[in-house]
Amino acid sequence: MFNADKFIEEQAKKLKTEVKGKAIIAASGGVDSTVCAALVSRAIGESLLAVYVDTGFMRKGETESVDKMLRRLGVNHIVVDASDEYFAALKGVIDPEKKRKIIGEKFIRVFEREAKKFGAEYLVQGTIAPDWIESGGGLRDTIKSHHNVGGLPADMDVKLVEPLRDLYKDEVRKVARALKIEVAEKQPFPGPALAIRVMGEPTRESVEIVREACAIVEEEIEKASAAGKMKLPWQYFAVLLPVKSVGVQGDVRAYGYTIAVRAVDSVDAMSAVYSKIPHDVLDTIASRIANKMKEKVNRVVYDITNKPPATIEWE
Amino acid sequence: MSHFIYAFREGRISLAIPFEVTANQRIAESADALYSRAVHLTMRILVIDNGGQWTHREWRVLRDLNVEVEIVPNNTPLEKIKADGLVLSGGAPRVGVDAQKMGMCGEYIDKSGVPVLGICAGHQFMASHLGGKAGPSKVPEFGKTMVTVDDEDEIFKGLPTEFVAWESHNDEVTQLPPDFVSLAHSDNCAVQAMKHKTKPLYGLQFHPEVENTDNGYEMFQAFIDICQAHKKE
Repeated sequence: MFNADKFIEEQAKKLKTEVKGKAIIAASGGVDSTVCAALVSRAIGESLLAVYVDTGFMRKGETESVDKMLRRLGVNHIVVDASDEYFAALKGVIDPEKKRKIIGEKFIRVFEREAKKFGAEYLVQGTIAPDWIESGGGLRDTIKSHHNVGGLPADMDVKLVEPLRDLYKDEVRKVARALKIEVAEKQPFPGPALAIRVMGEPTRESVEIVREACAIVEEEIEKASAAGKMKLPWQYFAVLLPVKSVGVQGDVRAYGYTIAVRAVDSVDAMSAVYSKIPHDVLDTIASRIANKMKEKVNRVVYDITNKPPATIEWE
Repeated sequence: MSHFIYAFREGRISLAIPFEVTANQRIAESADALYSRAVHLTMRILVIDNGGQWTHREWRVLRDLNVEVEIVPNNTPLEKIKADGLVLSGGAPRVGVDAQKMGMCGEYIDKSGVPVLGICAGHQFMASHLGGKAGPSKVPEFGKTMVTVDDEDEIFKGLPTEFVAWESHNDEVTQLPPDFVSLAHSDNCAVQAMKHKTKPLYGLQFHPEVENTDNGYEMFQAFIDICQAHKKE
């Protein structure tokens, strides 16, 4: 069986010999990169700088809460606002693989810039097994290019260190619990963030719609699970569809976009079943989303596909 | 913001954890139970990588079951294959149309002299390589499928005869090779599992390594037991 304490011990030794100098870590505030930051920070201390990039695609309140969390963890870190750069790079881009590649490349460019300022030769990433498996290569088909693998440009200036490469999320959580990391149970969130939860061009406006919808889905599902109405799903969020449909709001015709709600149960993200959310919870989610964004959204649907044939995220 | 951050700040983190933990504990318990009864003979099993999405899962399940396990590319020369058993992984190659992408799998089946478990593409390849046929499924299966065991053999011994299995295939075995028997079927696929009448060659169309497949760990343990028995002979 996977032994978290043994893993931590082995990595501590390995990282001390592998990282000979300054390093930066790509930190999103999620479980994988936070565990990585804690492991590397233990090994090399102040020679590590955690870089959190605000891409403009973050969830409601996320940047502030990650900043505070990293501070509490005692990891040397900075927050870089690169949102203008990201929106400009994704102007007119609707193809999901293109989005992922552009975002992956931008991440590296920002990290390279910060690495230079800090004098780091190493880039630490919280890459886990499904990231490189789904990114494909060789015989393996590309299901989606994860920003930290398939999105990496060929001409990189920094050396990659990926201590969690062979682990799945449930194992990373075991390590997180052993390290007493507060985000150990936080739901997974993709690196390209809300940019891949907008089916179509991610603009400040479209991202704002899905940000609001995601916040409502998270709030209602967390509330229902805390009340014992349902098990907390592995992942739960909203997706903005480019499909318009007719509605009626206050006796007036409406013609707005559609939000899809997605929630799945999984152990390792390599297979998943859709969550059986109680209908009254779905009801509340649909009403809140449509009422809050009435000019823009007038229809909410629930995604009932498993993985396979679907994937967890839509893009 | 995550529920857990709220919970953590309010000192409720211990209340918030169990929802997520229960799912993880379930596998942990089933693997732990098997782990404790596993005979601690060092078994070495290689996972031959045919490019499947779940190749690394096969590695993980075998590792969880205390086997010395390594993933190797399917073009590894036969003389470098030193193991007590082989798992031919599933893969992106469609054996009906591009069998050459299956590398040296044919040699491993013919000459390695150890038990072989083919999964999905590995299973289809085993069938066509040994004189049977594999080709496009009339109804491909993705995700949840009910499988019925017709002959429990060693691989399904003591397990329920109907179980949920996770699938992901466009092709399937359409004709068994000589001296093979079918062990299980589903509504849309006649050969969900097969084995050679006398040799330790097994094929499974579904994916026992996937978390959602019932008793997958037990099926791998059965294969390990088969490898162990073969080693003693």
